[in-house]
Amino acid sequence: MVDISKMMKRARKGEQFSLVVTLIVVFLLLWLLNGTRFVTIRNLRSMSYQLPIIGFLAIGMMISELSGGINLSLIANANLNGVVIYLVLNAITGGSMGDANIAQVVIAILAGFGVSTIVGLVNGLLIAKLNIPAILTTLGTMTLIQGISLVLTKGYTISGFPNSLIFLGNGSVLGIPMPIIVFIIVVIIAHFILNKSAFGVRLYMTGANRTACRYSNVNTTKVIVWEYILSAWFASVTSLIMIGQLNSVKANYAESYLLVAVLASFLGGVDPNGGFGKLSGMILAAVILQLISSGLNLLRLDPFMITAMWGAIIIILLLGRDIMNQIGKLFSKRRVRT
Amino acid sequence: MKTRLNLLRNRETLLGITILVLLVVISLLSPSFMTYTNIVNLLKSFTVLGIFSLGVILVIISGGVDVSFTAIAQVVQYAVVYLFLNNMQGNVFLAFVLAIIMGTLMGLFNGYLIHRYKMPAIIITIATQNLFYGLMYVITKGQLIYVIPEYFWKISNTMLFKQVAPNGAVSGLSLTTVIWFALALVVALLLKFTVLGRSIYMMGGNPVAAQRIGVNSRNTTLFVYGSMGAIAGIGGIVHVSIVQTVIPNSIVGQELQVIAAVILGGASITGGKGSVLGTLLGVLLFAILSNSLTLLQISSYWYNVFTGFIILLSVFLNAMQEIQQQKQKIRVNVEAAS
Repeated sequence: MVDISKMMKRARKGEQFSLVVTLIVVFLLLWLLNGTRFVTIRNLRSMSYQLPIIGFLAIGMMISELSGGINLSLIANANLNGVVIYLVLNAITGGSMGDANIAQVVIAILAGFGVSTIVGLVNGLLIAKLNIPAILTTLGTMTLIQGISLVLTKGYTISGFPNSLIFLGNGSVLGIPMPIIVFIIVVIIAHFILNKSAFGVRLYMTGANRTACRYSNVNTTKVIVWEYILSAWFASVTSLIMIGQLNSVKANYAESYLLVAVLASFLGGVDPNGGFGKLSGMILAAVILQLISSGLNLLRLDPFMITAMWGAIIIILLLGRDIMNQIGKLFSKRRVRT
Repeated sequence: MKTRLNLLRNRETLLGITILVLLVVISLLSPSFMTYTNIVNLLKSFTVLGIFSLGVILVIISGGVDVSFTAIAQVVQYAVVYLFLNNMQGNVFLAFVLAIIMGTLMGLFNGYLIHRYKMPAIIITIATQNLFYGLMYVITKGQLIYVIPEYFWKISNTMLFKQVAPNGAVSGLSLTTVIWFALALVVALLLKFTVLGRSIYMMGGNPVAAQRIGVNSRNTTLFVYGSMGAIAGIGGIVHVSIVQTVIPNSIVGQELQVIAAVILGGASITGGKGSVLGTLLGVLLFAILSNSLTLLQISSYWYNVFTGFIILLSVFLNAMQEIQQQKQKIRVNVEAAS
């Protein structure tokens, strides 16, 4: 019995192990390609400001994938959140958003969360009650939300947000970037929700075997609805950081980040059929992808070359993970034989 | 009660009736709609979408997705036109043959990755879309091609069933639309009367059962994605013949509309269900609706809202259909028991 649990511990470490190995390899490769400017304090600081965006998106994506679904509307949701914050702030302050006080900012943030809750509710209900495949539902809501944001902003970029809001995404406390602080706090909360609460257990179980859960008195509809609401809240948090970084809001920001978010979740070890996925995997995957993103930018490549490279990188990363899994299987087979 | 159930069971009938009703309503509101000129022009402007939808229906029935077809079409279009302008003496037939070969190769690349490495098709095709599109831009530096060989635009200008209007303008069914319908016939015959077609349905319905029956999942996957590539290539050539310029970013971005039209036509995203007739009707309905938006002079910002709404409506109808079917099953059991 002790042997089996030791073997399982090794296997679990192996999963994160391959991610850590990938991280080190990617870091060294990018350092090689970029030279010393890759490891300057300035670059590391800039990466640590942007990392939470990818991190929040990856976790939000993972949460929706725990039940075997996906949330393609994540980025559109984040953009809509920004637009809502703008509209509410504008209405409350009567047109002078930049002078809003903390109370008004808090109200606007809560309004944003409220709208995201509605989005999550719609997604969850369509997926859980009507059994519509998640990819299609979130594709539809994504397009719908994009359209709504476009209509509300008429395509304009909106800027002039109050300093208190921008501080969340751009400021620092004692030298630590504010986004990282927010990230750590949110990750701790997420850890409690996913791993230490009854809801978290029910969520993982629903993903692993929905029918068994229904027979075990788990209200899977409620679980899935709350799951998508939670995922939408992550989109809201992302939007707060984005507003701080860009000091602006637009209907179609960060559209290319959707691919990065989906990739991060699969890279981090989420099973597309549901039931498996760890926060630590998400964080490692987010770091890897942030390194790649910054590294490619620093190389000053043609933007379309970067697009092509992302395509190639995804294929290589997934291939690499497959190869490492095969190697891992080889090793475990040997162990069983002896 | 029984008639209503009948209608809901058959998506094609529902679509056909909706189209007829719409045609009546629109021609009452706007008499210029039901003219021969307007109809053939409408068909011509949605021919490319229609051609793409034929490839997409194959992929969706087999249980996969493909969003790289627009990139494949664009790359093939650029390559073929460029080759014929500079290096080769060509004709229409050669253009199509070359397009089909290039498109098939790119599609097979997709199919190979998806099958061999068992990676989610959505991620692979997003990756290859980025890869193909990015590389094309890097190589061509985004240059437009204004002058294309004569035989290209002759394809779309050739007309059948010509009519001469009182003011001397000639209008007729464009050859490109005929190509679309001919291709639709080929795909429909393939799906309905060949073993390969049956295998595609089986693989989409239940991949494990299909394999046990003896369906070669590798060959079927390669065929489906290869055909998607070939059809995308054909679509690219047709597109350049209609638009008469090569603009590097003119095709990419339409993926959602194609998928929306195909799902509207009754295909299930999880695979195993769908028909060419349904797809044709879905594209027609989509065309009529978006033409109405234009006629009503609705701002183009609402177009995304429209597409998203169509997707959600289609999945809602799909879900309603499945619920009806489930209810029917239960009813039969009860009757048999008593």
